[in-house]
Amino acid sequence: MKVDLDKLTKIVGPENIISDVADLYIYGTDASVHESLASAVIAPKTIEQIQAIVRYANAELIPIIARGAGSGMSGQAVPIDGGIILDLKAMNRILEIRPADMLCRVESGVVDDDLNRALQPYGLFYPPAPASSRVATIGGEIANNASGIRSVKYGATRDSVLGMKVVLANGDLVTLGSNTRVEASGYQLDRLMVGSEGTLGIIVEATMLLRPIPKLRCLGRVSFNKLHEAGETITEIISSGRQPSMIELMDNIAITAVNTTLDMGLPDVEAIIMFEADGEVKEAVDYEIEQMKKICEKHNGFDIQASYDAKTRTKLFAGRKKLFAALSRYKEGLACTSLADDMAVPYSKMANLAEKIHEIADRNNVVMTAYGHCGSGCMHTKILMDPTKKKSWEDAKHAVAEVYDYVRSVGGTTSAEHGIGLSKAPSWKKEKNDSIEMVKAIKKALDPNNILNPHKVQDAPNDWVTATKLRYTAR
Amino acid sequence: MVTNFARLKKWENELDICIRCGYCYENCHLVKLSGWESNSPRGKLSLLYGMLSGSVKPSKYITEKLYECFYCKNCSKNCSAKVSVTDIFSDARADLAEMGFSGEGVTAEVDKDFCSTCGICVSVCKAEAIKIDREKKEIILDKIKCQGCGSCISACPSGIIKQKHGYDITSDELSAKIKNIVKDDKKKVVVFCCNWQLHPGLRLSQLAVSVKNGLPYGIIINVCAGRLCPEQILEAFDHGAWGVMIASCPFEECEHDGNYKAKARVHMMKQLLQQLSINPKRLTIDYFSSTEGAKFKKAADSFSDEIMALGAMK
Repeated sequence: MKVDLDKLTKIVGPENIISDVADLYIYGTDASVHESLASAVIAPKTIEQIQAIVRYANAELIPIIARGAGSGMSGQAVPIDGGIILDLKAMNRILEIRPADMLCRVESGVVDDDLNRALQPYGLFYPPAPASSRVATIGGEIANNASGIRSVKYGATRDSVLGMKVVLANGDLVTLGSNTRVEASGYQLDRLMVGSEGTLGIIVEATMLLRPIPKLRCLGRVSFNKLHEAGETITEIISSGRQPSMIELMDNIAITAVNTTLDMGLPDVEAIIMFEADGEVKEAVDYEIEQMKKICEKHNGFDIQASYDAKTRTKLFAGRKKLFAALSRYKEGLACTSLADDMAVPYSKMANLAEKIHEIADRNNVVMTAYGHCGSGCMHTKILMDPTKKKSWEDAKHAVAEVYDYVRSVGGTTSAEHGIGLSKAPSWKKEKNDSIEMVKAIKKALDPNNILNPHKVQDAPNDWVTATKLRYTAR
Repeated sequence: MVTNFARLKKWENELDICIRCGYCYENCHLVKLSGWESNSPRGKLSLLYGMLSGSVKPSKYITEKLYECFYCKNCSKNCSAKVSVTDIFSDARADLAEMGFSGEGVTAEVDKDFCSTCGICVSVCKAEAIKIDREKKEIILDKIKCQGCGSCISACPSGIIKQKHGYDITSDELSAKIKNIVKDDKKKVVVFCCNWQLHPGLRLSQLAVSVKNGLPYGIIINVCAGRLCPEQILEAFDHGAWGVMIASCPFEECEHDGNYKAKARVHMMKQLLQQLSINPKRLTIDYFSSTEGAKFKKAADSFSDEIMALGAMK
């Protein structure tokens, strides 16, 4: 495949295109285990430039991969067939904040935390809050359907998208969705784009639903000596009709990692849960917290603390936001790989899943942790292993397969919030076995030349280990 | 090409430890300014990994990237995996130099023809990158050690130390920005800000004009308070600014001791302003940690209010 750099340079200007092999290497990686060299990297500044680039790529059958912060963990933005990377971080303007309509309009490269800082003076916030919100772009979050700590109450990105502008594979610009909270019949094309991982169109602008910042937030933390009891507590909090604004689980491996790396001083127990309630009326928030405390105690939770004070809340929550990286320091010689990194199961299976993860890890000679936004049914893990040994990768492959086999067997899903990309595609394809042809038909209709992030999700290779070169080198 | 990464090799496991989350973008001036991931700490670490694994060949281009770093160490200090990012860069620079790849990046350069070898630059360089060769009577600047902080540039009495490339912080670029803020944007207060505070002006995203609030001050990111020259402060007043604020990092947090230098400079400048019949209150310095964005905004707002009350200079 030959990319005509002169032609692309004429479209975007020389300052917005790079093609040194060093740049192509960097843009061929993300936070996943995959790497694959891109052919050119372009940072467009306007929608018109994107349309022109896509028209060129479509005519020349060159893959085109939209990229936000490159913080995806499943290889969503890794150019498996090479091609043009569209770095959308330069499309970073917050175009409108409309408090009366409870919405904002942003370009796709706007960073989540930046948006929330801009919204704060209006008393509003954009709720999905993934752990990567400090760098993750709104476009990337939409393409991934990101969610986070507050999704248990406010939903995932999909629940906050009202509409968007999308450049299609033929270069046409379409406006999807509306500026209203509800939109009834007709295909919900904006929602189809959410979670499509850049395979159906390039999201260039988004209209997002905002929520009022609650006046009160109360955060609690509770310790457990048995992981299973922590899991059962989460199940009961949700099934009893409580309305937490956050429920986070950390197992002993996660606790050890943040204590070792960041000196957080978390209790040395088998699991902790952090739970939060928010609202306008103190009595109502108190009631929710008290009810959750009672459920914790019923399942042998102890050392329960709760506070409205912002500093104390930060202290209680310390470690969770920085956990992903801290896991890399869990034990000398082990690195934290984004494998089997996320999944969701029905609430009643939460406790079993947490235990199953540890059981599978032991059986396969790797270390795995159980943590995550369990309030929304989402569980994360990572595989901690010596990435320099070939045997580790074989063990990891077995462990990944076993985890997802279990998840599917209990009616769970492979992709809770971290996307599918390459590393989760094998399990996802099995999970969606009877609808995969429908998915492929939609892809074919919208991208007949298969230029938009090809060979991902439904079209990804069946073996993630050989799908691309791995970013770790066995030595 | 024969490669020899003797120093870099010892960081091999550390490069595995970096999970490439990319959270370091938030703290890197170069990423915010250029937008390219190849200027980010994560991107550079990936490149080093690529060179070690044989995926990428050493090149002048890669070397130059490594010299484009101000060593503020915001990335290392905020890395949850505790990766010693800039130490790795330094070792890679040294290895590449031995392979014949030299870089310039944001490092300083001395015009030896006009240097009196007074040695002031030696004393202000915390990185110990500058030495005097007494026999040859010349300044020796070690590019590998130079951290591009600019302290020597602002301290040189002859004004003959420069940075060719500066990501908006060479003397010429700073001058242009000062003029732009005061003359074009009609701001009454200029705030020079190091790379340590997470202020709106330091973010990755931009507010559209329609949602921007009418702040009376304009922010210039000068990366380190220590690089600020007295003439740049005077330049702001000369263009018509009513006040100048220097936002530095707290005393124990600066990698270059730029805050101590800036404090002394402000003290001296206040006396000079007095002699020029300019109210010294029109110049201030304050110190903010990387998590004190709110404190910074409050201080900048408060200083602007005081300056607006003082009004224009007579």
